[in-house]
Amino acid sequence: MDGEQSLTEKYELFGCIQCGRCSAGCPISLNSALNIRKLIREVTVHQVLEPIYEQGELWDCTTCSICSLRCPRGLKPHEVLISIRSILAEEGNVPATVRDALEETFKHGNPYGQIRSKRFEWATDLKIKNFSQGDRAEILYFVGCAPSYDPRLQEVSRALVKTFTQAEVNFGILGNEENCCGNEIRRMGEEGLFEMLRADNIKLFHNHEIRHIVTTSSHCYNTFKNEYKDDSFKAEHYTIFVAELIQKGKLSFSKEIKKVVTYQDPCFLGKQNGVYEEPRFILRSIPGITFVDFERCRERSLCCEGGGGRMWIDASDSGQRLGEVRIREAIALGAEIIATACPFCLLKLDDAITTIGLADKIQVRDIIELLAEAI
Amino acid sequence: MGRIFVLIEHRKGAIRDITWEMLIKGRELALRSGGELTALLLGYQIRNLAEKLVQRADEVLVVEDEKLSNFNGEIYQRVLSKLISEYKPALTLIGHTSFGMELAGQLELPITTDCIDLCLENGALKAVRQMYTGKVNAEISFIGAPSYIVTVRPDVFPAEGQQTGRGEIKYLSLPIEEIKYKKFIEYIEPAVGEVDITRADILVSVGQGIGDKKNISMIAELSELMGGVLACSRPIVDKKWLPKERQVGLSGKTVKPKLYLAIGISGAFQHISQIKGGHIIAINKDPRAPIFGVADYGIVEDLFKIVPVLTSKLKEIKAG
Repeated sequence: MDGEQSLTEKYELFGCIQCGRCSAGCPISLNSALNIRKLIREVTVHQVLEPIYEQGELWDCTTCSICSLRCPRGLKPHEVLISIRSILAEEGNVPATVRDALEETFKHGNPYGQIRSKRFEWATDLKIKNFSQGDRAEILYFVGCAPSYDPRLQEVSRALVKTFTQAEVNFGILGNEENCCGNEIRRMGEEGLFEMLRADNIKLFHNHEIRHIVTTSSHCYNTFKNEYKDDSFKAEHYTIFVAELIQKGKLSFSKEIKKVVTYQDPCFLGKQNGVYEEPRFILRSIPGITFVDFERCRERSLCCEGGGGRMWIDASDSGQRLGEVRIREAIALGAEIIATACPFCLLKLDDAITTIGLADKIQVRDIIELLAEAI
Repeated sequence: MGRIFVLIEHRKGAIRDITWEMLIKGRELALRSGGELTALLLGYQIRNLAEKLVQRADEVLVVEDEKLSNFNGEIYQRVLSKLISEYKPALTLIGHTSFGMELAGQLELPITTDCIDLCLENGALKAVRQMYTGKVNAEISFIGAPSYIVTVRPDVFPAEGQQTGRGEIKYLSLPIEEIKYKKFIEYIEPAVGEVDITRADILVSVGQGIGDKKNISMIAELSELMGGVLACSRPIVDKKWLPKERQVGLSGKTVKPKLYLAIGISGAFQHISQIKGGHIIAINKDPRAPIFGVADYGIVEDLFKIVPVLTSKLKEIKAG
């Protein structure tokens, strides 16, 4: 395999000075053997890369991208890791849970293996414009797989619809035509399937003359914005869009939420796209909320372990979950609610609360749920 | 229909269940068509197995050779092809197992795979196999050919039946040439105590509601009484109360039991989306738990009240 040369060349790995800023910032190094600095070194110097590929901890990475953010040479270690995964995926050498998620996405357009005809079920009582039924609208609300099927996350989608309706946004959804965005698929190494999804989705957007997309998930937002490479449409995460609605005075609040709230920066919103202010602006706009930031926040925010396909992979080492660390930090801050703006953060943190049995002390809510409650 | 071959699947000196299942089905077809049921036994030092098989088949053809000590698709294919061309069976049944799947396609005969039923319609063979992940059953009829291969899904036909053979064992000596491309290396056994929850018909699954590690034994007992296998949700694995291999969910396993008894499981989507098919019965004290959204039957009550009652009832029934 010429993978060694192409990886080193493609990612300019000879530029690496082995300073260790990447591994020092890596959240996964807290509970996994993965050492991204060492990996880059090995990829650069070894003739035969197969033994490196056998390291199970390659699947521990959440692709949060802090390594790339911290690299003084501007290299992209997390992209190297994704490339290694794609070599493994090409060989069919992936964990069984990943294989299943990829296969389900290929077959049903979502990694959960849920039936396509049920994708729209959460919204059947909501009277939303539906592009697949011939409706037209200014904005496409791209719901995403998890927020379409997961009953917990459907509450987030409903809150967003309520917000849009109150602000009289002219929006529609794709209904059962909506497809996986491919963000996680690419990070699980299935570059081919990702490209297929991207082509299908772009075609769908063009057919429906979509120019402006707003997403529930920071993951869909990331891939639409950075990886679709199509400038016929603009993609925004809902926090950006809703912050603008508030600024323009399109939303009025009628209720107070008297809670101490902190905010978990989703990696795909913050680290990868620099969206730090809008979520905080929304939270501060909600009457009654006392906002406190984590000590580790913004680009230093601790990853929830939900990205990079990790919803379908458990860490090779089962040390303490970062979600649990985060919950304890939030409680120490005196927060009663951890707000977030990403479906995976919400699920991972919710799980952590259940596991450590602190459901009576703290809750995880999506920002939009809090906002919808206050309008 | 003339002769029906059943390829005996055995491993480490033991005949595998799929063999008995195919012999039952093969016998039924032979009776209907007036044909003859022949068991093919390939291996080394396997005469004791032949003795067991004669009671179920009209004839047992045994090919014994050291090269056949362990399964090797390449050698098996050569031997089997020779036997088929010599004895001209109308039908050869092979298990749809890792063993059979490697072999059956190499035989260069009309084939239908993973069948869940076989029957004769006006003297012609028909097979039933599933499509669209089990949503549709397709009836397969065969093109006219002197000999067919059918691979049979395990656990579909009963393994127990009447002993209907007339008991003849024939030892064949076949020259078996050396092969170049495949060799047997080793058997990798699952670690002791490892269970496969993906294959269980009854899963008794425990979640966070169990509260304490010491309470798991209560669920294990219930599971055993029900003839089930113990499974769990992720928090139980996170707390190391049960090993990872028992975890149902997105980052654990996808299961397809006939019955899924969820005890103290709230039913997060990551968990329930990986229960495919079967009936779900949920016990949870929270009536708003999402598990009730997917359960066929639900009991809204403290599991510590329900489980002991179930256990004692099952013990009563077992005691007769």
